[in-house]
Amino acid sequence: MKDEVQHPEALARVSDRADFVRPDIVADAMSAARTRVEFGGWLRSHFTLGDDRYNDLLLAVYEALANAAEYAYVDAPRPGTVGVTAAYAEDSDTLVVTVVDRGSWRTPLGDRPANLRGRGIPLMHALADEATIEGTPTGTEVRLAWFALTNHLP
Amino acid sequence: MVDEPVGSSDADYAGHDRAFAVSPTQRGGAAILSVRGDVDALTAPELTQAIVAALDKGPSTVIVDLSDVAFLASAGMSVLVEAQERVSASAKLLVVADGSATSRPIKMVGIDKIVSLYPTLADALDACGEA
Repeated sequence: MKDEVQHPEALARVSDRADFVRPDIVADAMSAARTRVEFGGWLRSHFTLGDDRYNDLLLAVYEALANAAEYAYVDAPRPGTVGVTAAYAEDSDTLVVTVVDRGSWRTPLGDRPANLRGRGIPLMHALADEATIEGTPTGTEVRLAWFALTNHLP
Repeated sequence: MVDEPVGSSDADYAGHDRAFAVSPTQRGGAAILSVRGDVDALTAPELTQAIVAALDKGPSTVIVDLSDVAFLASAGMSVLVEAQERVSASAKLLVVADGSATSRPIKMVGIDKIVSLYPTLADALDACGEA
């Protein structure tokens, strides 16, 4: 079961450095949704953000998680895990979120019509100030960055 | 006439207090689907089901009202695009959305050029002559 991999009670505590760390999230739609809710709560408790900024962050991070859930372990017998780290640097007012899985993303366009799939990646690029998606020998790393995070208030 | 809401992803996961539901109503020839909660990979299939069920009744227009949606992921946007393709032969599809969580990402990926987007339900009803 999922709970063997996830230990929310042990991980839910936010460190003094205000990082959000979830190293072993089950790569499925339910866990992606749950992590989105937790990430939203973390954002609200640590930052005062405008609506656009808050929703951009929430959606971009969710899309990275949902992509991992949908594509990373397509050929695996059961879902693997995905790790999320959000680190805020106060001096530069920059938030960097990395979403790392240990699978290999099937091409997002896949065998389905291009207009139905693969919107997650263009969304991440549009929502973050900087987005990189890198395939590594061990998996895929999505890195999303927002600059002037708290000075973005409209 | 108000049918029973379709979908009931009630508090499926911790901290999720915005239960997903689709409530269908009829206004003249227009089928209105009022969506509530978060539309993501988990709930998007329920929205598809609700649209298919509405189309079975042969409306001239289907209005998907996202006014009470707090989160819209790409999975939900794909449902809208798919619905546009599904209805284009028989009916019109109108989408109601306004705000950071819905119309903003819809416009970011250009879906406002694929579906007809309105800021309020009144605007959409006006546009299809059911106001």
